[in-house]
Amino acid sequence: MTVKRRSKPVSVNPLKIGQSLGGILAMQGCYRAMPVIHGAQGCSAFPKALLTRHFREPIAVQTSALQEMDVIFDANHNLEEALTSVLSKHRPDIIGVIGTELTDVAGVDYQSMLKSYKRERNMRGGLAFSVTLPDFRGSLESGFSVTVEAMVDELIQQAGLRGQRNVNSRQITLLPGSYLTPGDVMELKEIVSSFGFEVIALPDISTSLSGHLLTGFSPLTRGGVPLDSMLQSLQSGLTIAFGASMERPARRLHNALGTPYKVFQGTMGLKASDELLNFLHQISGVPVPIRYCWQRENLLDCMLDAHFQFAGVSALAALEPDHLRSVSEWLDELGVEQKALITSYETPAVAELEREVWVGDLDDAEVLGSGADLWIGSSHGIAGAERIGAAFLAAGFPIWNELGSYMNVSVGYRGAMEWTNKAGNLLMRREADHRESRVRHR
Amino acid sequence: MEPIRKEEIDDQACGSLAPKSKPCPRPKPGEAAGGCSFDGAQITLLPIMDAAHLVHGPVACAGNSWESRGSLSSGPSLSQYGFATDLTNNDIIFGGERKLKDSIDYIAGRFAPPAIFVYATCVTALIGEDMDAVCKEASERLGIPVVPVNSPGFVGSKNLGNRLAGDALLQYVIGTGEPELEASMGVNLIGEYNIAGEMWDIEKLMNQAGITLLSRITGDARYKEITWAHRAKANMVVCSRALLGLAKQMESKYGIPYFEGSFYGAKETTYSLRQMAFLLNDREMERRVDRLTEREESRLSHDLRPYRKILKGKKAVLYTGGVKSWSVISALKELGIQVVGVGTNKSSDEDVQRIADRVSDDTEYIPEGGASRIIKTVRERKADIMIAGGRNMYVAMKEQIPFVDINQERHKAYAGYEGLLRLAKELVDSIANPIWKLASSPAPWDKEGSYDR
Repeated sequence: MTVKRRSKPVSVNPLKIGQSLGGILAMQGCYRAMPVIHGAQGCSAFPKALLTRHFREPIAVQTSALQEMDVIFDANHNLEEALTSVLSKHRPDIIGVIGTELTDVAGVDYQSMLKSYKRERNMRGGLAFSVTLPDFRGSLESGFSVTVEAMVDELIQQAGLRGQRNVNSRQITLLPGSYLTPGDVMELKEIVSSFGFEVIALPDISTSLSGHLLTGFSPLTRGGVPLDSMLQSLQSGLTIAFGASMERPARRLHNALGTPYKVFQGTMGLKASDELLNFLHQISGVPVPIRYCWQRENLLDCMLDAHFQFAGVSALAALEPDHLRSVSEWLDELGVEQKALITSYETPAVAELEREVWVGDLDDAEVLGSGADLWIGSSHGIAGAERIGAAFLAAGFPIWNELGSYMNVSVGYRGAMEWTNKAGNLLMRREADHRESRVRHR
Repeated sequence: MEPIRKEEIDDQACGSLAPKSKPCPRPKPGEAAGGCSFDGAQITLLPIMDAAHLVHGPVACAGNSWESRGSLSSGPSLSQYGFATDLTNNDIIFGGERKLKDSIDYIAGRFAPPAIFVYATCVTALIGEDMDAVCKEASERLGIPVVPVNSPGFVGSKNLGNRLAGDALLQYVIGTGEPELEASMGVNLIGEYNIAGEMWDIEKLMNQAGITLLSRITGDARYKEITWAHRAKANMVVCSRALLGLAKQMESKYGIPYFEGSFYGAKETTYSLRQMAFLLNDREMERRVDRLTEREESRLSHDLRPYRKILKGKKAVLYTGGVKSWSVISALKELGIQVVGVGTNKSSDEDVQRIADRVSDDTEYIPEGGASRIIKTVRERKADIMIAGGRNMYVAMKEQIPFVDINQERHKAYAGYEGLLRLAKELVDSIANPIWKLASSPAPWDKEGSYDR
């Protein structure tokens, strides 16, 4: 179907999150990493504050702290200073330079600067790469996948192992998309490894942003996939990407190393989970573990119990493209009318969807979704949901009105069950509230 | 009105009293922390609750920051809407002025706000958008004030942004209206942003003392009240460093005397209320203030007794900026807490002097940012609690250090007499929480000698 836009000169209550935030998020899933934002101080301070608020964890990020005169004269001087400071003080294993709209508009060439910097310093053993993530295109999702792609590229270059690989067919590389929570990544790792595979997730936010108790402060990332595991992932026999946006890094691995890949565009609901488990069952030859057979039954029973609650219900969802697609497929299975699907920018994944998708903001969500019973989106939607009288289900980024939302699971049978129950409970409470207010006003 | 020239701003380094003190230092690449000037401008102006705040630039400057402040509103909520011109590639090549004009028209037509503030960002400043002209034209055409705020992120720090926002108020807002009622005895509060509702506690105290609060600059403010701020009889600057320049210029332009004060701690609160009455030059009011402060202080000291017992001799490390770096020390001292370390990297010389007056000789000064430095002080000085901004909260949690949030994202109001009581409760609850014991003890199977292996 087509992707539509409401004509309006100004963005009111934006849904879009800057690309560079996605880049920072991707880097949090790598151990001892440091993203360096090439921009003004706010270009790192805002994302840092927002990520901290969502994950309730310290976030590793630094900045080249550009000021007016630096931009005019020599922005790369600042970057060099920042790199030298970060490298000498904290010795990160992975460093990612993230260019912003500011350096893009000013036409700063930090790619070649980084290359010569690496050559001059004779930087070996670590990973250093740059990405360009201006805010005037894409969104969080694209920033995340572009950063992973750049990381993969750099890994391949560093390993330099064209043709001389020791492929380990029992090892699978997972490329989880930006919308998956640490809880989701953990669940996916568990599902895949239960079929007897060794799993490396790239990036792996399940070990860095899920809440750990390591003491001994470091400004670098405190968890995530370590560099040697990242290098080892190049030996994987298969890549599995979750979310259409992760197909590009998967294709990179395929083109450079010949690693076959499989993309799961949707990750939520019965069908998506069936597809994943059946695929793993077929490639491994291992029977589906008994706990997932149980979980499948549990989910179906839960959907039977809940279907009364969802009858005649309508919902709107305002999410990043891949996430929107997953949620839409889950809503399909519940028989919920999808009043409005709003996303931050156009991608093939949402254009292919058999439904009308709008690129817009949360104000569009209010207008298009007016009359909906359920609002699915980030905490920015709380006020809008209240204005249109919809129950609010927190999903996506950022969420600050709930504790532990970063551990919510949406993938697999367990995830679908969790979401179905949560949404059903919200609708039940809303119905009870309505009834109460009717009685009171008689 | 004469526009403020650049040199005039520059010689008041960061709004501090002494004109020749250190200017805002250049942030160090790779070590910088904290927000940009755009952030600072929004902190100062977003509490004008009924106005629309439009960000002219790519979407993330607004998209990553809207709804992230703790300023509360007692009524209108338009300032909680995120408006952005959301510039795309094409707009940057061909210019975004047309889009800006259309955006202003759209907002004026649909939301009918009393005023629109338009914020420049790095990108629009770089491509040379003539925002002032667009705003002026729109303002004349629509008949509502459209105020350009020229504080793009890359001009400097958050503090500079606060100040540039103050300049915008002085240039475009203050002096353009007259109060509805005769407000001959009014005081303005400058730099109080109603974080967690602190302004309401202060307002209540001022009401009890019979002091008229003329304009709130800008906590829970309405646009209109700021237009008549020039009719005040006195200004109180609550957040000293950032908006002192505004108070000074109001003094030279309108002859309004000002003083710097704080509402953290009973002593400071009493001093501030007394100072207001003194500047208003009203004997009757001074007596009223004396009665009020005496009553409140004695009630507070009674209510605080159980908390003082627990907090006495506890050690704290305080890491915050500007006025809070010294005013909170007074509040903590009143509770019997010893401040063993204090951050000074966002404090002016003036502030540092005031810190020195309030702490003991062996207190450690933390001159530079960075969580590791703060943690080190906490460890070395065996501090019981860390009091800092939300950015450092989860760092403290990782190190299992009791923590109280003191900056703009917090959810509790600590100003005034009631605020001090709330702070005491918060500190006690934090230190006494069972989690510290639970988190520091290992799992039973990790305990040495608990089982034979």
